[in-house]
Amino acid sequence: IFRVFCWCPGAGQDVGRSCILVSIAGKNVMLDCGMHMGYNDDRRFPDFSYITQNGRLTDFLDCVIISHFHLDHCGALPYFSEMVGYDGPIYMTHPTKAICPILLEDYRKITVDKKGETNFFTSQMIKDCMKKVVAVHLHQTVQVDEELEIKAYYAGHVLGAAMFQIKVGCESVVYTGDYNMTPDRHLGAAWIDKCRPDLLISESTYATTIRDSKRCRERDFLKKVHETVERGGKVLIPVFALGRAQELCILLETFWERMNLKAPIYFSTGLTEKANHYYKLFITWTNQKIRKTFVQRNMFEFKHIKAFDRAFADNPGPMVVFATPGMLHAGQSLQIFRKWAGNEKNMVIMPGYCVQGTVGHKILSGQRKLEMEGRQILEVKMQVEYMSFSAHADAKGIMQLIRQAEPRNVLLVHGEAKKMEFLKQKIEQEFHVSCFMPANGETTTILTNPCIPVDISLGLLKRETAIGPLPDAKKPKLMHGTLLMKDNSFRLVSPEQALKELGLAEHQLRFTCRVHIQDPRKEHETGLRVYNHLKGILKDYSVQHLPDGSITVESILIQATAHSEDQGTKVLLVSWTYQDEELGSYLTSLLKKGLPQSTP
Amino acid sequence: YRDLHTFELQAPTRLIEWARGNRVCVAGYGQSDGNEILQLIPPPTLLTKESQGLCPERDFKVECGGFSERPVYSLKYVPDTSLLVTSGPPDSSLQVWQVSAEDSDVIKSVSTIATENGTGQSWAKIATTSARAPWVLHGSRLDRVQITEVESRKNVYTAASRGSEELSGLAFLDCNTLLLCCATGRLCLADTRQPQSLLEDMAVPSAPCSEQWCLGTRHGAQGLEPSSQPVARLSSRGLLTLTDLRKTSEFLALAKARVPSPGSGAEFLCISWAPALEGYLAISGFDGTVHVYDTQSWDSSGREAEPIFVHKGHAFGGAGGSGDPALVTVHTWHLQKPRTLLSAASDGSLHVWNWVQPCGKC
Repeated sequence: IFRVFCWCPGAGQDVGRSCILVSIAGKNVMLDCGMHMGYNDDRRFPDFSYITQNGRLTDFLDCVIISHFHLDHCGALPYFSEMVGYDGPIYMTHPTKAICPILLEDYRKITVDKKGETNFFTSQMIKDCMKKVVAVHLHQTVQVDEELEIKAYYAGHVLGAAMFQIKVGCESVVYTGDYNMTPDRHLGAAWIDKCRPDLLISESTYATTIRDSKRCRERDFLKKVHETVERGGKVLIPVFALGRAQELCILLETFWERMNLKAPIYFSTGLTEKANHYYKLFITWTNQKIRKTFVQRNMFEFKHIKAFDRAFADNPGPMVVFATPGMLHAGQSLQIFRKWAGNEKNMVIMPGYCVQGTVGHKILSGQRKLEMEGRQILEVKMQVEYMSFSAHADAKGIMQLIRQAEPRNVLLVHGEAKKMEFLKQKIEQEFHVSCFMPANGETTTILTNPCIPVDISLGLLKRETAIGPLPDAKKPKLMHGTLLMKDNSFRLVSPEQALKELGLAEHQLRFTCRVHIQDPRKEHETGLRVYNHLKGILKDYSVQHLPDGSITVESILIQATAHSEDQGTKVLLVSWTYQDEELGSYLTSLLKKGLPQSTP
Repeated sequence: YRDLHTFELQAPTRLIEWARGNRVCVAGYGQSDGNEILQLIPPPTLLTKESQGLCPERDFKVECGGFSERPVYSLKYVPDTSLLVTSGPPDSSLQVWQVSAEDSDVIKSVSTIATENGTGQSWAKIATTSARAPWVLHGSRLDRVQITEVESRKNVYTAASRGSEELSGLAFLDCNTLLLCCATGRLCLADTRQPQSLLEDMAVPSAPCSEQWCLGTRHGAQGLEPSSQPVARLSSRGLLTLTDLRKTSEFLALAKARVPSPGSGAEFLCISWAPALEGYLAISGFDGTVHVYDTQSWDSSGREAEPIFVHKGHAFGGAGGSGDPALVTVHTWHLQKPRTLLSAASDGSLHVWNWVQPCGKC
């Protein structure tokens, strides 16, 4: 039995927030610990009191797993581990462990320094939190404890993103996090083996979309950049330290080469070093093509893209600049933005989601007059464009993944139940599995039929197969034995062996039934009457009259005794063992019918 | 191109139908079970009049879907109702479905309109109208044309037959007038007010048989006499004819399109008028391209016409040219945006495109 609790309030937002609790065979695992990017108060963090009402989180949870470094999957982690309190292990892949703290610190800076929030985690908390992290490799089975093990699979999407398989005994769950089934320029596609988990938990935010091809998006992006540069304008592309930036660089480099363009492209220095460092470190996480070419030349050392110097921003003429941070909230990208905003020939292309309160968010919402530090008003005349290259699985991708993993049940998160009826039917029809779509905050219970392996003793096997019809591959054969459960192992043995092993003696069950018959004669004579009667009827059975007056039919004993109060009634005691139940009952009913009147 | 968006459907479609609220419907036509009917919401870029190159929302969204046991060859929405009708092999019966997008996202099968099936019947061509009541005009052959009321499934009208040729298309010109096009190119008109009325024939250009034709009528433009709109016909050899229904004895115009020969059959021949551009039509079904023509420069000479634009996208798409090249199965015009078309091909691709008009024109 699984119990899956999904916490994802406020569906319908562009950026989901993930935090899923799974109870599997007595183990409790938390999958992702995301923050809600839209709220500025306590609503942005999950309400963990739901779990803690029963005691400490550390005692309740066996582990926490983080799928990738996006803030909507790990943003609440320091809050959770340091402010709410959790000291157990936190698992994530190596790249995620390396990049997570950078993004968390960045986010913390915006929220606390720029927006003046108080109830937020500190830099020290981020550090302390990361100390609890255990990094894992792809396809490495990690034993969390004696019974619980986890394994990471490649998910594409961003550097270091992984899908996790959680296994307890023979029950398993696979959690996908965010994944992508089509490779892009710098990352491969998600892949999982035919692990046949009992449950597959998948994101479904993009399940109902049919995506515009990447080529078209790229074509439009390049067109915009080209047009701006042709008319002498400057293009600013604010980026996060890692992620799409590399993808876009490769794209521009190829385009510049093909079109023989001369305008310079710059990349923030800090960015290049860090990016190169991480990509070199995690080269196995990128796609095939990059790994191949990396040997010949560093894929991230470009011919047309050069390191940026802040003085260049004042140079006349067209140029393209990649600068951090991505939401234009501080630092170099904001500086450049301020210099270029007043010229309508220039353009800024926002490559991703911007948090409320940042300049990026404001200009995307259409604001064209911004208040800067020192009460200065900045008029934005440059063109503002937004494009999203984020890689998520659509309906086709979800079907592909299900086909690869072959789960027995599927659970989709982030969907609105009634709007996902079609997808649910599609999955159920094509794969003949149950599909669940819990609402936010709902707990789903999934019943599983776990296979319990039992060893059968050779002796028993030989004995049982010798009786009855020959073993037939097509027909199940019924066998009898005793199930011994000892130290987490199950064995099927013969009853005798079980008794021996356990040091028990076999109990004998004996039934005695009293049959009253009317007979005034002496017991001895009644006994004789009974004997003759039975001998006459039960011709196929061995009926004996013993010297002490009792009668035996096979192994059943019949004795005639006098009734304690009534002289005219005799009581026949019919006694048999459990094994002779059938005959015993038959005899009893026979005798209850009474003895024939005329007897010698 | 001014804009080009390419999408990939899970299964190829041979129909693209517009529905209320700018929705688009596609459906699978595979032989096996489990064909999907999908009602899609186009991305905002297609819904607004002006294009916004780098709009964040560039994807189609599946609004609702249904499962059909038979391949869906034709689908028509019944106007002013939440119903749609589909048809496909193996026989000429129709399936009626209910779309209730607000309650659930499943398109439910509601009923079947059965037809008597003679031998050798293929699938029915359909057209719908709700002018007098929700009606569906359907038939696979000239002698099997009838109008059925969709909800009650009662027969309302049966056309008097003149022959048993296979139909390639039919349309309601207005609530009383029907236009039928046979695969041989023969055009017939019928009036529903005169049941059992004889059908009138119209001129067909002399052509070797084994040529197949299909029909293109202008979507009922408001306030215009439907019979004043020329009817276009396209043949599998690339011949294009324009006929004015008021003067059926002669052609308004005759032209030839440059198409590969031998053609790939008439399975997916498609011709349609642009709703927002006067005199423009598009053809497809010969290969992986869609041609757009301006018929205003045509005359009756029958010489080769120069297309204004050729969309070649489908020929280049696809997974590295494996197997047969893609064949465009259907195309349709955007109802409001002037030079925008949607086209689908046998490899599952769906393109939405818009070409740049050279200077000096509209």
